[in-house]
Amino acid sequence: MKIAVLGVGTTKFGELWEFSPRALVKEAVSQALADAKLDLAEIEALYVGNMLSGILGGQENLGALFAEELGLRCPAFKIEGACASGGLAVHSAILGILAGIYKTVLVVGIEKMTDHKPEQVSAALMGAGYEEERMAGITFPGLYAILARVYMEKYGITQKDLAAVSVKNHYHATLNPKAQFQFAVSAEQVLASPIIADPLRLLDCSPVSDGAAAIVLSSKFKTKGKTPVYITASAVATDSLSLGGRKDLTSLLATVRAAKKAYQIAGISPKNIDVAEVHDCFSIAEILACEDLGFFSRGKAAKEIAAGKTTLNKGKLVVNPSGGLKACGHPVGATGVKQIGEIVIQLRGEAGARQVKGAKVGLAHNVGGSGSVAVVHILKNE
Amino acid sequence: MSNITPVKIWRHQKKYAPFLGKEGKIISWTLIKAPPVGYEEEAPYPVVLVELQDKKRIIGQLVDWTKKDLKTGKKVKIVYRRVGKVDLEGVIHYGIKFRPV
Amino acid sequence: MGSQEGTMFKDVGILGFGVYLPRSRIKISEIASVWGKSGEDIERSLGVIEKTVAGIDEDAVTMGVEAGINALRMAKISPEQIEAIYVGSESHPYAVNPSATTIGEALGVDHNYFAADLEFACKAATAGIQNLAGLLKAGLINYGLVIGSDTAQAKPHDVLEYTAAAGAAAFVLGRNKKDFVAQILDFDSYSSDTPDFWRRDGIPYPSHQGRFSGEPAYFTHIQKAAQRLLTKTKMKPKDFAYCVFHMPNGKFPGEVAKRLGFEKKQLEPGLVVGQIGNPYSASSLLGLCRVLEIAKPDELIFFTSYGSGAGADSFVFKTSKLLGKARKRVPSFSSYFENKIYISYPTYLKFTRRI
Repeated sequence: MKIAVLGVGTTKFGELWEFSPRALVKEAVSQALADAKLDLAEIEALYVGNMLSGILGGQENLGALFAEELGLRCPAFKIEGACASGGLAVHSAILGILAGIYKTVLVVGIEKMTDHKPEQVSAALMGAGYEEERMAGITFPGLYAILARVYMEKYGITQKDLAAVSVKNHYHATLNPKAQFQFAVSAEQVLASPIIADPLRLLDCSPVSDGAAAIVLSSKFKTKGKTPVYITASAVATDSLSLGGRKDLTSLLATVRAAKKAYQIAGISPKNIDVAEVHDCFSIAEILACEDLGFFSRGKAAKEIAAGKTTLNKGKLVVNPSGGLKACGHPVGATGVKQIGEIVIQLRGEAGARQVKGAKVGLAHNVGGSGSVAVVHILKNE
Repeated sequence: MSNITPVKIWRHQKKYAPFLGKEGKIISWTLIKAPPVGYEEEAPYPVVLVELQDKKRIIGQLVDWTKKDLKTGKKVKIVYRRVGKVDLEGVIHYGIKFRPV
Repeated sequence: MGSQEGTMFKDVGILGFGVYLPRSRIKISEIASVWGKSGEDIERSLGVIEKTVAGIDEDAVTMGVEAGINALRMAKISPEQIEAIYVGSESHPYAVNPSATTIGEALGVDHNYFAADLEFACKAATAGIQNLAGLLKAGLINYGLVIGSDTAQAKPHDVLEYTAAAGAAAFVLGRNKKDFVAQILDFDSYSSDTPDFWRRDGIPYPSHQGRFSGEPAYFTHIQKAAQRLLTKTKMKPKDFAYCVFHMPNGKFPGEVAKRLGFEKKQLEPGLVVGQIGNPYSASSLLGLCRVLEIAKPDELIFFTSYGSGAGADSFVFKTSKLLGKARKRVPSFSSYFENKIYISYPTYLKFTRRI
């Protein structure tokens, strides 16, 4: 069975004050359906990826809510796995198709974060962590800062090395009209930005964003008028909820496990990947991801990234051409779906100024919490 | 926004006694400058990942600290302190934190 | 008091004691400068140069827990053996909800214990000692824990602001003489209705009646309780190696000691108020702990606490040969006393939750 990504759609990511979650979902879905040249009536199930609708907005039951909003009368589900909610929604949709129950499904990732104050969002995001972490008053930047410090002390990496990730992703985002930040930043600017959780600075951290992304998956319909793109692997793995339970703090074992399964299912190895969207919630996260996904060996990723090995038009494997979470934005539940959308556009050759030339195989990597759950998808064009 | 309730506090408080006074060392640390809701009064504060003598690892706030205590390997001890913002009407939330030895 | 003369409490004594002092200190001169007063004048008149300030996440319960851990460790008994807990404070975190059980749970005490919180201004904990002595002497318990702990508050610009401090002292008491680090030979009290210092329910700061807290209050009650006990035990001031009195400031204890016939050299070792201020229910007990830290075996200590409202509890303690070894088991009074950092007045307001 081949699962094609028939259509993709993404709203702009950013501080979208006038747009409600319903408006954002409708926008992303209408783009995806138009892109798929498919009628709404063909959709057999709806999967919604979202984390904070309940904690921040007091609204749960998003499956039913958006099914009605979109005019669908089909089975609908909310899937939650912290920042991996989008990727997990895609994975869940694929399971429905693989099981033969549905043939054509719609996956939507949506998050509305700017209706609330930063301190409230910060506290809400810690719902992805462990109770004792919340009691300690730590934030997500703080959890990744703890990881960053271990990595930096082990491999002699400096704050300047971390900054290279943000510099690269901001550069990519200047070529992405949907990105939240379409301006470049320099390493000096990153190092001059205020400390959020030592050693991570403001410009090491992905922003608070609103946005939605949607994809249409089908085992039945053929792609019309563009290069077909298929999802050839979808794998999920978990690790301890708390950092206290991790065996190695310089790696996210959940990523390693999910990636290993995905490569195995797809029958490929890391060196086959031409383009990847990885989970750079913080600069250190992209560095760990590149090693955990097998792109670089342990301890080497920071220097390789700083040397441009994953930069558009410089490196062979381009990482986060969309601008990543850092510069494209990170509406939590939308990210995992947007990542798939970006890879699809790349593999179709439709990415314009940020096209990774000749890309045939792509990877999307989505993480929840401080590494407690990871989802890896592999896509190929035909 | 706090999800703490008297019943949860009651369950938590039964667990602290074996930990109080135990020692460990800092595996990694961060200094929180942008606190979440309820921790504004205490910011900035360090949060540390500590390995206790029995190899168990826990995360907690570091109190009574100076800059030179913020380093990997520093010995710390578990102490009993209030957690989070003081609510004038609710049950007080106590928990464990770390103090440099 | 009591139907017997002489040593009534042969078999009641201290098995272990522990202290806690918060790390932060504020200088009297720092407070004085805010109100445009002369720090030197105030230091001289009060006999205090700095005081302890509890951190923003500390309270009478958290301090009591640490002092309690130290006392239990010195006594070498497991928490499950504690059968009674009394906590005396003027700053119990709750008006209704006992500090005794919160502290008990944190210490790992089992569930079969008598418990109550006590209030009697600065002598609440010594009243607790008397209660435990009764339970021990009656054979109703084998081990009891008493804690005096306070995060004393004072109204800004009031004279109490220079001395109201924070600290805790804990004692494990038992009735097996071979375990005593110090024995309670006897005690007595003098109580009356004297409104020298008070705090109404719901009001954050105490009030006081100025100089009325002196003669009719502090001096009368301490002197009467002390003289009664000396008479009952047929002891004289010169029999004692040390004397400890409640320390609302650095002057009153010296004056009352002199009036009772004690000498400066007996008082000075326990006179800790000059550098920690007055942590209310822990004040006199911290002086006692300081003395126990340096006392030799078989020395007599004369001790009298004072609580406004008013009353004084007078005790005679005798150290044992076990004291020297036992006190090495836990962090000493001096280790807490010397571990300090100075804070500014704005930080003091932040820690005491006024801003």
